[in-house]
Amino acid sequence: MRASSRRLPRLPRRATALLAALLLVAVAAPACSTDGDRLTIYSGRTSDLISPLLEDFSEETGIAIDVRYGDSADLALLIDEEGDRTEADVFISQSPGAVGFLDEQGMLSELDPALLDLVDEQFRAGDGQWIGLSGRVRVLVYNTDEVEGSELPDTVLELTDERFAGRVAVAPNNGSFQDFVTAMRLELGDEVATEWLDGMAANDAPTYSNNTAIVEAVARGEVPMGLVNHYYLERALAEDPDLPAANHFFAEGDVGSLLIVTGTSIIEGSDQSEDAQRLLEFLLSEQAQRYFAEETFEYPLARGVDPADTVPPLDSINTTTIDLDGLGGGLARTAELIQDSGLDR
Amino acid sequence: MARARRAPLTLSAASALVALGFATPLAYLVSRVAVGDVRVSSVVGDEVVQDALFRTIVLATLVAASAAVVGTALAWLVARSDLPFRRVFAVLVPLPLVFPSFVGALALRASVAPGGLLESLPLGIDRLPQVDGLFGSWLVLTLFTYPYVQLPVAARLRALSPSLEESARLLGRRPLAVFVQVVLPQARTAIAAGTLLVFLYAVSDFGAVDLLGYPALTRVIYANRVLRRDLAMALGLVLAVVALLVTIAERRAARNAATAPSLRTKRSLTVPLGRWRWPAFALVVFFLLNAIAAPVLSLAHWTRRGLSSGSLDVQDADLWTPVLNTAGIALVTALVAVAVVLPLAFLSTRYRSRIAGPALTLVVGGFALPGIVIALSMVFLSLNSPLLDRLYQTFVLLVVAYVVHFGAQSVRAAAVAVSSVPARLDDAARMLGADRWRRLFRIDIPLMAPGLAAGGGLVLLSTMKELPATLLLAPIGFETLATRIWSATEANALAEAGLTALVLLAVSGLLTWLLVVRRAELLD
Repeated sequence: MRASSRRLPRLPRRATALLAALLLVAVAAPACSTDGDRLTIYSGRTSDLISPLLEDFSEETGIAIDVRYGDSADLALLIDEEGDRTEADVFISQSPGAVGFLDEQGMLSELDPALLDLVDEQFRAGDGQWIGLSGRVRVLVYNTDEVEGSELPDTVLELTDERFAGRVAVAPNNGSFQDFVTAMRLELGDEVATEWLDGMAANDAPTYSNNTAIVEAVARGEVPMGLVNHYYLERALAEDPDLPAANHFFAEGDVGSLLIVTGTSIIEGSDQSEDAQRLLEFLLSEQAQRYFAEETFEYPLARGVDPADTVPPLDSINTTTIDLDGLGGGLARTAELIQDSGLDR
Repeated sequence: MARARRAPLTLSAASALVALGFATPLAYLVSRVAVGDVRVSSVVGDEVVQDALFRTIVLATLVAASAAVVGTALAWLVARSDLPFRRVFAVLVPLPLVFPSFVGALALRASVAPGGLLESLPLGIDRLPQVDGLFGSWLVLTLFTYPYVQLPVAARLRALSPSLEESARLLGRRPLAVFVQVVLPQARTAIAAGTLLVFLYAVSDFGAVDLLGYPALTRVIYANRVLRRDLAMALGLVLAVVALLVTIAERRAARNAATAPSLRTKRSLTVPLGRWRWPAFALVVFFLLNAIAAPVLSLAHWTRRGLSSGSLDVQDADLWTPVLNTAGIALVTALVAVAVVLPLAFLSTRYRSRIAGPALTLVVGGFALPGIVIALSMVFLSLNSPLLDRLYQTFVLLVVAYVVHFGAQSVRAAAVAVSSVPARLDDAARMLGADRWRRLFRIDIPLMAPGLAAGGGLVLLSTMKELPATLLLAPIGFETLATRIWSATEANALAEAGLTALVLLAVSGLLTWLLVVRRAELLD
């Protein structure tokens, strides 16, 4: 108390002044940075994987952009919560699930037919509300020290075999896994999908939160194999080329080697729909598509651009469209099946 | 008795207003569930939900129990014993709180799980045990949450007058008996308050349980948040009700524990540990090796790997902006969080009031809600109220969201701090003609400073790692260290994530030292 009694009472006053100043700045700030004629993009793809491209677009077209990065699902919820007040003009989703949700909520506007025609039919929504930009393939990542090449299965359906018990990691709450299960329902029916999920659960498949965690655990040898999207390993190998891990692609056309597309859409009621359309055109241009092939090791979806040599050609990949039309119970049913299987416990 | 006094109207009004703000997430959940087509009754009857809820409660109870023991022991050792290097420990001990659980758990697991880095060190470890499920989540959450107990308890212990302990010793009590019979009862409310925070945090945590494969209720909420939003919202409401019930129960229990006001005229006692000095030191070091060194080992390993393979360029990383953003917004939030809850702390400890109880419950219980719910509720609030919609996507709303989420951490610390100011001092000043503000600034705040700093420190550390609200509510382009770490982890750029997390740790260490530890020492 003694020495400090003179010093301490001063703090709150200084703090109040600082606070008042900061609040003033904060209240004043939005007045000068309203949406205006800037193009606002909500991106579920992280800045590491797309910002160079968006900056190129802005530079080439002179269109000023604002990008809010976040988790695809969270951003979809945000746009829906904002409703007609949203500043978002374009939504880039990491998976069809989140963009499909906004489609269901009627938050998306129909895209120009000429734009939709840039990609094959299976890479866009049937109702023309969103379009795919790039794709990742579901693979089985495995530890090369612990798994022999001959052990690897041709089809994902084999993973329910006893010999894989406890050895294949999954991320049941991850959007990519959910999309994969949806594709399985579309292609083989709910019964097969349920059986497979139950089989994986009976096999005590270890669960992880996401692709990054599975690739990390497999490379470390904690679990020998895991179901992930192919390009996480490419990133991991770029940081440490000696990692004892490799991707196994399932046989041609197998439901296990599903292509999961990133979905892009223009928000209904956007006041920048022309610029938004230009952005989508840019993202589907050869220049941008080549970026996806070479920088993020993905499959370009616009016709005429080839993927990197390290991945199998697109025609050997299962490209089932994840479309809600004709899918009983929609995506909610997928979540229900995964939950009921007890995989996640 | 001071408590019998009736509260001034302004104080009651201010507290009620604060409580209303804190009720926003709850109101949001209720309104969402009301318009949704999922009935809470059918959700609660669902076996999957019951199992998940049960697991959440088991985990939270275990974590709360262990964090209470560890936090109290560390607080006493660092604040009141002659533990070697205790000034260094005073800075290190609160640090694990700043690990965002998604990267902390990932890093910890990369060190101590099978195949982890510890196996490659010459320690004679052949195969590490699995760190996952209930055991892994309990371990990780205990290691990352005990500061919720340690910081406020250390502040309380430092504020205790030595006279009672001295008397007990003179009466022949052994040191352990003094601790159990004299020190613990006086620290009881601080321990209980911290333990409740740990419980609520464990209930709300998603990052750690998700990464460690423990299917708690938050996992069901996250898995369904888009595909079955109505269900997720109903589950959020279930979580909120559990949190409120537990908070009420704790308040009931705490009501009987009177906090003895303490007017310290002398330094609090430093207890010599004698022959236990070095064993205690070894124990603290071992604990911190797990809580800090293990995750740091992985983070450093990732960073070094990225630097040597060339995938990480420190020059390119440009961490200054996120460092300043993070520190700035966290400091403002901590100050606001303390200022906002102060009226409530006064109301609940000094006066008889019907508002205080429910208000406190709302403030504290809200801590158990997942960050995404808080963030969405703020969008809902600001876009639907004509006064607040100007604030949408401004720093003001972001700070409000942080405060609503983390205010629980400052309110109990503030209440403990207020109750440790002897009412007779206030009475004396009043009789000498000092007005309310003068009494506040000349008597209350100086005496409460360590307690308030501890509460503010908790808010500070929590804000620095906050992710969902930052991503959704911050003005576009506002990057913090946490958003950087998240972005890098999502892209599997572990080198960048590692480096950024190390910087986050360093910045929080510096701030903790400047604002919490040094401030407490100033008083000695």
